Amino acid sequence: MPNVLLIGPIFIPLAFAALGVTLSRYRTLQHGFGLIGGVLAWLSSIGVLLENLQGNILTYRLGGWPPPFGIVLVGDLLASVFAVMATTVVAAGILYALGCKDKCVRYPAFMPLFLAMGAGLNGALYTGDIFTLFVFIELMVITSVILVAISDNRLGLEAAIKYLFISAMGTLFLLIGIAALYATFGTLNMADIGRLLANDQRPLLAQAAAVLLMCAFLLKSAVFPFHFWQPDFHTTAPTPIGSMLSSVVVKVGIYGLIRMMTLMFTAEAPLIQELLIILGIIGIFFGSLGALRTYDAKRLLAYSTFGQIGFILVGIGWGTAAALSGALVYAVNHAFVKSSLLMITGVVSSRTMTKTARLSEIGGAGKALAVTSGLYFLGGLALAGVPPLNGFVSKVALARGGISAGHWLALGLVVGAGVITVLYMFRTWQWIFQQPPAGELKLKPVGDSPLAPALLIGLCVLLGLYAAPLLDIAARTVSQLSNPQLYIRAVLGG
Amino acid sequence: MNILFALATGIMFAMGVFQLLRRDLIKAGMGFYILFTAINLLFLAVGAYNGSVPAYVDASSRPAGQPSDPLVQALILTAIVISFGSYALLLGLIAVSSRRFKTVDSDELDQLKG
Repeated sequence: MPNVLLIGPIFIPLAFAALGVTLSRYRTLQHGFGLIGGVLAWLSSIGVLLENLQGNILTYRLGGWPPPFGIVLVGDLLASVFAVMATTVVAAGILYALGCKDKCVRYPAFMPLFLAMGAGLNGALYTGDIFTLFVFIELMVITSVILVAISDNRLGLEAAIKYLFISAMGTLFLLIGIAALYATFGTLNMADIGRLLANDQRPLLAQAAAVLLMCAFLLKSAVFPFHFWQPDFHTTAPTPIGSMLSSVVVKVGIYGLIRMMTLMFTAEAPLIQELLIILGIIGIFFGSLGALRTYDAKRLLAYSTFGQIGFILVGIGWGTAAALSGALVYAVNHAFVKSSLLMITGVVSSRTMTKTARLSEIGGAGKALAVTSGLYFLGGLALAGVPPLNGFVSKVALARGGISAGHWLALGLVVGAGVITVLYMFRTWQWIFQQPPAGELKLKPVGDSPLAPALLIGLCVLLGLYAAPLLDIAARTVSQLSNPQLYIRAVLGG
Repeated sequence: MNILFALATGIMFAMGVFQLLRRDLIKAGMGFYILFTAINLLFLAVGAYNGSVPAYVDASSRPAGQPSDPLVQALILTAIVISFGSYALLLGLIAVSSRRFKTVDSDELDQLKG
């Protein structure tokens, strides 16, 4: 039964988190089991994707209850693409944590929380039930808040409080939206809601629910009016956590938006898309210009995430098949690039005495680290979209989408803003790795291990040279999304 | 009955938003919890929309009227657990930050600016 594979990415990390709690006295053993859990989750998510590529949509009924009543896990191509991305980055993050010299990584609660965050992430992607989506998102939020609050950076606590308040408001909107949907249709199953919305005339309450869900998802992705918590939260996090938050956790909102527009609110989608183009372009410029005037290497990458999410939103907003698959490719590639860049910055800043990422203090710190410098250079090229790296593939895929949509103004702005990425990535690379340090620079002999970012950068290069499989999967995902009946029939049967 | 639910939810929502916007972090935390309680009440109202008679009782002792929806009560139970957990976490974080930064005034917690 391939359907059982679906519970792997969610329940394997949870089981290993529980095991980690019992092993809290034996740190090496706990961390080793954490890595095993991450890798097993990665393998099972790949298994689901391979099964999907055969043309099946997997469903797993929790407790055996039939779908409109019970909770059902659904693995279609969209969920699988995002989940493979998430589990890959989370497994790399656990690997980084094993070689991390931060104090907080040695706390007994660190690894169980990290695994639970991964489980919440995968659960939010695979669930077919909108209330369970809320539960998994809350699991993800609470674990990430704790992980940032215990950060070595003493300001992590302030960022954590801020984020807990703001994201709680986001989930509040999600809950009101769920209540509105339940009041209208009497069901929480997303496929069932999609079926009823397709047949019914559209009640006002359902349209209100669309707005509320959209607000919640935009807040999770830190899109323009709801973005202000993001740079603080992603900068003060411990390096292994920050690289998860800035790459895959923000994609949950993107996933929610795509799912909501293609499955449930297909009639409202054109209106939402117009809004997304505007918000995306604001995000691109705000994020890129913010990155340009930031003098902290991690904060710069957090601002850059804000800009890159804008590119993805514009792709979704164009709405043609080519543009949507471009946005998917962009989302996947950005996750690998951004997590590896944040890890490399962490590697450099872990060598300094104060563990800061301020450019004034780590400027020149990377001059002795040849391998790290090369990795950062490749990552910068990938983020800026220079061939033959994966960033180029995603930029081209997105531009092709813009041409197919014929949205010339937005396309011009998007391509023009891409140039700013080159500016800020190279300024930073030069500052950290090329110029001589200002004054005496004392460095620790050992820092974090650069193994995990090296693997991710290798993946970026591979995805740049052999881009065809990812592009093919994205195209097939979009063709599956364009026919929501496939999803509905797979879940509800008949 | 419906108007009562609507009024109660509205008043609690207003109270929650007012408290949430205060500068004192502990009071803002209280607002956070009041807002979640308002949502739980909203969920209850969604389920009791059709009736307020319990769903599972003996057929002989069942009062007249339409049974209410049991699912929303399960949802509320889940939502209460989650909101309670995040409230406890929030108060814990505020307690630690009051010791670390020597303030519970949200305006003075501004070291991340810039």
